[in-house]
Amino acid sequence: MNMRKSTVIGLALIFVFSSVLVACGSKDASSNGKTLIWGRGADTKSLDPAQVTDGESLKVTKNIYDTLVDYKEENTEVEPGLAESWETSKDQKTWTFHLKKGVKFQDGSDFNAEAVVFNFERWMDKKNPYHKGGEFPYYGYMFGGYKGDKGHVINEVKAVDENTVQFTLKEPQGPFLANIAMPPFAIASPKAIKKDPEGLGKHPVGTGPFTFEKWKKNDTITLKKNKDYWKKGFPKLDKVIFKSMPDNSARFTALQSGEIDVMDGLNPDDAKTVKQNSKLKLSEQQGMNVAYLAFNMDKDTPVKDKKVRQALNYAVDKQSIIKSVYAGLATPAINPMPDSIWGFNKNVKDYSFDLEKAKKLLKEAGYEKGFKLELYAPSDPRPYMPDGRKVAEVIQSDWKKIGVDVKIVSYDWQTYLDRTGKGQHEAALFGWSGDNGDPDNFLYVLLDKDNTRTPDAGNISFYKSDSLHKDLIKAQRSTDKNERTKLYEDAQEIIKDDAPWVPLVHATPGIAYQSYVKNGNFTHPLNNDKLVKMDIQK
Amino acid sequence: MSANTTMPTPTPSPVPKKNEPKIEGTSRLHEGWRSFLKSKSAVIGAGIVLVILLIAIIGPMLLTFGYNEVDANSRLAAPSAEHWFGTDDLGRDVFARVINGARISLWVGFFAVSGSIVVGSLLGLLAGYYGRWLDVLISRIFDILLAFPGILLAIAIVAMLGPSLKNAMYAIAIINVPTFGRLMRSRVLAVKQEDFVLAAKAIGMKDRRILFTHILPNSWTPIMVQGTLNFAIAVIEAAGLGFLGLGAQPPEPEWGKMLSDCRQYIQSAPWTMIFPGLAIMFTVLGFNLLGDGLRDILDPRMKQ
Repeated sequence: MNMRKSTVIGLALIFVFSSVLVACGSKDASSNGKTLIWGRGADTKSLDPAQVTDGESLKVTKNIYDTLVDYKEENTEVEPGLAESWETSKDQKTWTFHLKKGVKFQDGSDFNAEAVVFNFERWMDKKNPYHKGGEFPYYGYMFGGYKGDKGHVINEVKAVDENTVQFTLKEPQGPFLANIAMPPFAIASPKAIKKDPEGLGKHPVGTGPFTFEKWKKNDTITLKKNKDYWKKGFPKLDKVIFKSMPDNSARFTALQSGEIDVMDGLNPDDAKTVKQNSKLKLSEQQGMNVAYLAFNMDKDTPVKDKKVRQALNYAVDKQSIIKSVYAGLATPAINPMPDSIWGFNKNVKDYSFDLEKAKKLLKEAGYEKGFKLELYAPSDPRPYMPDGRKVAEVIQSDWKKIGVDVKIVSYDWQTYLDRTGKGQHEAALFGWSGDNGDPDNFLYVLLDKDNTRTPDAGNISFYKSDSLHKDLIKAQRSTDKNERTKLYEDAQEIIKDDAPWVPLVHATPGIAYQSYVKNGNFTHPLNNDKLVKMDIQK
Repeated sequence: MSANTTMPTPTPSPVPKKNEPKIEGTSRLHEGWRSFLKSKSAVIGAGIVLVILLIAIIGPMLLTFGYNEVDANSRLAAPSAEHWFGTDDLGRDVFARVINGARISLWVGFFAVSGSIVVGSLLGLLAGYYGRWLDVLISRIFDILLAFPGILLAIAIVAMLGPSLKNAMYAIAIINVPTFGRLMRSRVLAVKQEDFVLAAKAIGMKDRRILFTHILPNSWTPIMVQGTLNFAIAVIEAAGLGFLGLGAQPPEPEWGKMLSDCRQYIQSAPWTMIFPGLAIMFTVLGFNLLGDGLRDILDPRMKQ
């Protein structure tokens, strides 16, 4: 009897539970909850935007925080963000920003001039009690170092009144406004930082369209709608989930089955399939990016020798890489930046694919018999490199022909960033997607000697050229576009000759999405992952 | 000590089947050969293994394409007269890669299995013969190793040593040590009670000599059988590690790695996966059949 009784109770419980679960399920699926799932290739490193430089991290923080100024929807020109308007002095050394009134952080505290000053002080001053949670690498890249450094551009940031902030620069900086608009320099809540400066990377609080809900490492990051967002009527989505799915084809299968709504990092070979599927849409945008192979010039290997680096440049068949790994969806790279950015030097001639020349140069350098080299290749897909290991294999087979034996070494993306940032590689495949549309964001960040600071080096070639540095700093301090163009053109020639890289390709990153996803700004050269206006209309 | 006492029959002679007339006076070798030929699976298995061996040894010399000849213009080409097995995503000839892969797989299988046989047998020999605390210690080590799922332990070992074919081989060798160790130990426990061992002890023969000239030769039959079977397991494990990127490194054409490299083309270019897959299947099948056959012939007690 007893057993029977418990069985009945058990069954009843199961019934109650299942009906509750069914109720939950139907609630989620109802139309008043618009959830968008974005599948991507790798997880976020940190949710404190000032601590990161990689696209995967910034992709999420862009939707939690805002910057003082923002990029226009159609190009990389600047428009108002948290600052309604701004003006600059004649000598371009003083910038005054008038902030929007009534904006609140997601924790309820007020956004004001003090908050802006607080954030900048935190980033620039290594002695600041809240300069914690990382190295603030991007600040150093863009503003010439930190407080007290010789090259540091910003002299002072002060609050003139509640809604006015004034920046005083030591020297004028050409790309200053474009820099301020970059997602790493987003304003976070001082209240949250004061509570736990290191915790911001895990519990972000900004003024942006979405608030942080939860982060399951290497799986998902969930954001929900910020109901008090200052742009009235936005965002349209109630919930956004960023899901890490390292395998490109698995991600694509998930998109086809409707498990996710948007995917980036489409395998170039799958573009055809997307076009044939009426339920899916494809965005192919000429990417503002570059994929490259960086030689580590700090390590004691043959690539310290310029002739060896040039020889290896001659021995890479870029067309073959484009055909076999990018399915034709890329253009060969000649300079470190794509020609869609002003200042691109058209007169620079690329090293042609010429194995005889390569062998000759190697012989001159004394490496006729070749040598061994370790090449890092990321195991996770990147927007500029859908399959790093395959790229490495093509290069491996090319270099083998001139006697250079390559050992390919792979790590997952976060480890990869750590190791290359510390300079542990001999050579590494890497890439860069522009964050502000200025040549400075490519040439200075990736190749200037200022940015060889470990553990977060932007210049992972550890290429230290004084003549290049002179050009780049001069260009940075100038506000005359013609002068800057000339300087950058000169810089590209210096780089070509010194060959710290093998610039590989400029990729056309494919984003595929369900046709019911509307208003996604997928073709923007920088902001294709801002979700403020994105909507789901089934 | 006469030669006869060192080579007694360790196992009772197979019970002759009913319709099988017992042939008197045939040598053991001859008898073994006859029963080998009678075992269909052994013959088929041996045939497959022989073919694969031949392919591995002379195959690469006969190829027109190198296994690492990248040719972007003929990528993902379907099988044709020029490329018998088609080409992969980098335009490499799949046939050339599969043939070269045979060398790698056999090499891994051979060294991994030899390694685990040598280490495992030695430990098993010591544990079985000396007993007491040594037996407890060694047996517990085997238990610990066996407590982990094999491939998981292999992954952990490779993760520590760093991914490479050589390290994958070490890992496979290590995880298979207890299989042979325990087998050897149980054989030794039985053999050491046999009269000829007791006799050797009685006349004061040294332990080392007893172990290596009397016990070992009389215990190795099941090890050989198990070794053949484990060869197949080692090939699969190497392919598994290769698939996970922990075994062979590019450009080595290891079969498991080939599967993993081309898995995104399973719909558009299935030949990039079918042929390496078949290669793994036939190798494993061959060694399994051979192993089963050998077991039937050499060790009838294991039949059940």
